[in-house]
Amino acid sequence: MDRSEQQTVMPAYLNRLAKQLEPSADVVKKTLKRKGDIVHILYLKSVVDMMQLQAIVVKPFYEISEDQDFAEYIKCLPYETKMPTGDEEVLIEITKGNVFVMIGKQITLLELKMVAASAVQEAKMEPTIHGPQLGLSESIETNINLIRQRYHQPSLIIETLQLDECSNRSIALFYDKDRVKPKLLENIKKRLKTLDVELVQGGADLQYYLNNKKYSLFPTSLLTERPDRILHNMTAGKVVIMVDGSPHAIIAPIVFFDFMLSMEDTYYSFWVVMLIRFLRYGGLLTCIMLPAMYVGITSYTPDVFRTELALTVAASRIGVPYPSFIEVFFMLVFIELLTEASMRLPTMISATATTVGGLILGTAAVDAALTSNIMVIVVSLVAISTFVIPISEMSYAVRASRFMLLLYTTAFGLAGLVLGTLGLVMYLINKDSFGEPYLRMFWQNRQEELKADKG
Amino acid sequence: MKRHIFSILKPSVIVMLLFTLLLQTGCAFKDIDKRLFISAIGIDPPEKSDEGYKVTLKVALPFGAIKESAKSSYAYLTEEGESIGEIIRMLETHVDKVLEFGHMKTIVIHQDLMADNMDTFMDYFFRRGDIQLIAYVAGANPSAEDILRVEPQTEAPASLSLFNFFGDTATESPYIVTTFLFQFRKDLISDGINPVLPLVETTKEHDELVVNNAIVVGKQQEPVELSNMETKYYNSLFKGSSGFSYKVEHGDDRLLLNISRIDMDYEILTKNDVPKVIEMNVKMSGIVGESKHPLTLSKLDEYNQFSSEEVKRKIHSLLKNMQEKSVDPFGFGLRYRATRQYHEDIYRTWEKAYPDIEFKVNVEVKLQSTGTIE
Repeated sequence: MDRSEQQTVMPAYLNRLAKQLEPSADVVKKTLKRKGDIVHILYLKSVVDMMQLQAIVVKPFYEISEDQDFAEYIKCLPYETKMPTGDEEVLIEITKGNVFVMIGKQITLLELKMVAASAVQEAKMEPTIHGPQLGLSESIETNINLIRQRYHQPSLIIETLQLDECSNRSIALFYDKDRVKPKLLENIKKRLKTLDVELVQGGADLQYYLNNKKYSLFPTSLLTERPDRILHNMTAGKVVIMVDGSPHAIIAPIVFFDFMLSMEDTYYSFWVVMLIRFLRYGGLLTCIMLPAMYVGITSYTPDVFRTELALTVAASRIGVPYPSFIEVFFMLVFIELLTEASMRLPTMISATATTVGGLILGTAAVDAALTSNIMVIVVSLVAISTFVIPISEMSYAVRASRFMLLLYTTAFGLAGLVLGTLGLVMYLINKDSFGEPYLRMFWQNRQEELKADKG
Repeated sequence: MKRHIFSILKPSVIVMLLFTLLLQTGCAFKDIDKRLFISAIGIDPPEKSDEGYKVTLKVALPFGAIKESAKSSYAYLTEEGESIGEIIRMLETHVDKVLEFGHMKTIVIHQDLMADNMDTFMDYFFRRGDIQLIAYVAGANPSAEDILRVEPQTEAPASLSLFNFFGDTATESPYIVTTFLFQFRKDLISDGINPVLPLVETTKEHDELVVNNAIVVGKQQEPVELSNMETKYYNSLFKGSSGFSYKVEHGDDRLLLNISRIDMDYEILTKNDVPKVIEMNVKMSGIVGESKHPLTLSKLDEYNQFSSEEVKRKIHSLLKNMQEKSVDPFGFGLRYRATRQYHEDIYRTWEKAYPDIEFKVNVEVKLQSTGTIE
């Protein structure tokens, strides 16, 4: 097929589309010819599955008998996607991996995309011993498949929509239409449609944009990679949002206590779960309050300690040059650095970082009287208890809020700690997630609460 | 909605600059290492003048590694003056650190000071907010300073032996009376009861503390020292301590009873609105802990009987002795005031009647076994 001949045959519309895609190297426009039958196709070869294209479009075209209508065949293919109006929209579909097929006056879009990252990944952020070990994948089709496979209900609705941003990713909304509150769904859809952002890369940043507030600390929606958590929340009438290309799903609305739930809790017996939860909330309190408490008690009211402990703490602070609050602040920053560093580094090096940082530096700092050894215990306890919080965004928020408490306690002693904690609780009470109170307690059992929600 | 990094840059730079001020040498903070923990206070009569007091503070010193140091270390501060508050103010000028009374748990008072009006100087401890009302109060012989300066060999670092004697947390003995500050204060100002304090003594070598006597603080009278035996009976009858042993002698036999349970109640009987008789019922149960001769189970009733007689005699003599010295450590007067209809002369009636009151003591000792298997 030489160039000049093709030009003459190509319809103007196709040419117009092709021109806008150029000069990308992966644009392919082709004309299939066979005794009077002419089919024009346009696609991007990097996102289209060639084998499928060959098997579904090209081969049948030459094999089909003359009295059969190829146009009708193309129309009946299950791969067809809805033809949007407007050039721009059609082009977006082509960039997503759709093949543009033109037979005479009939134009069709066939979805023959090839997704490289469709493998289901292991759940790394929220590992559990029991329960599913695999999380989501980075392809939205696979994810939809994953959810459909686990939830066979005609009431499960999956709506895909596109945000008004430059990457034109598809976003999927999952909900059970029998359980979801219509007003809430409307609210979320409205929020999604009115988003004014440049680029959405994945679940995490969409979650930030959805938050609708510039300065906020606590997350108002939950990011998860576990299908069991998604289903658990969906049956409770929540909406799940997934972004193509991201292995995380957003769950909204959310209350504070959802962040403290590990999926493991549903897999164990009652008392075991009670114990684990007790530990978890204990850890939460420890990592929020302990650094502030250390400052408050040692510097303002050592009467709270037992006599022996007061003497031990006093002794361990001998020679420490900086006041207790600077000591705590430095050590907290140090432990944050350590956590950050070991998170960013590859697993093999991160072990070295923790050893050097935690063990060697810690011991050396005590030996050099830069910090007291009680402080090292306090800081390690705080660091460990941070990891007890199952959802990492919440643990980030908690890590930040303890600095606030530290500040209050430094200024006003234990009274400041109480004041700061009160302030934190008030802030959380005042907060809402898509119209749902953030600190809502669930006293009744799940079924009854859900029933009350509906009414 | 976009992130505006620059709008938060300016305030954070200012905060960072302010933070660097904290690292300067001029910046200081009253931390735990700038405090001295007082562990006990001793009050003595003054040596230099006739009036006022001498106060000794025992300061627990923090030291490097508590586990490695074998001996506890203390510093002592002594000063004389007219009132306790004034002396402590003066003592604050003797040390470079803040005196911290939050861990002060023992107040030791010289025996001689118990005669005059104790509530005047004890008032200070009650008013000071950081002194805990659960502090122990004790009498001292020969002097409070001597007692505080004793550092017994058994004393572990960072734990004062003076605390451990009281409150049944470490040693438990029927000879040790525990009196808390709040209790002492209450007994001191209410009519009809005399506070009882443990008496802390020391050996000649000043290397041991001995607490096995008690002292009854008189309100108008001289303090009355209780003997060992009296202390034990007082403690077990009125303070409800148990697990004690009683030595009973009967002819040739000598038994030591291990009493595990004591129930005591008493009633004040009046005639024409004047208290005449105090009837006391005591029930004890336990086993024989030591005997000179072999015992048989069949004669248990006999042992019960002569034990009862013996115990009864001792209790009676304790009550009589207190009555003669006109002190009332048991709070009979308080009970009388509390259980009769109030009239203005109620306490005067009691005061008049107490010296002539008759004690009727019934003791029932119930031995559960001879203590051995036949």
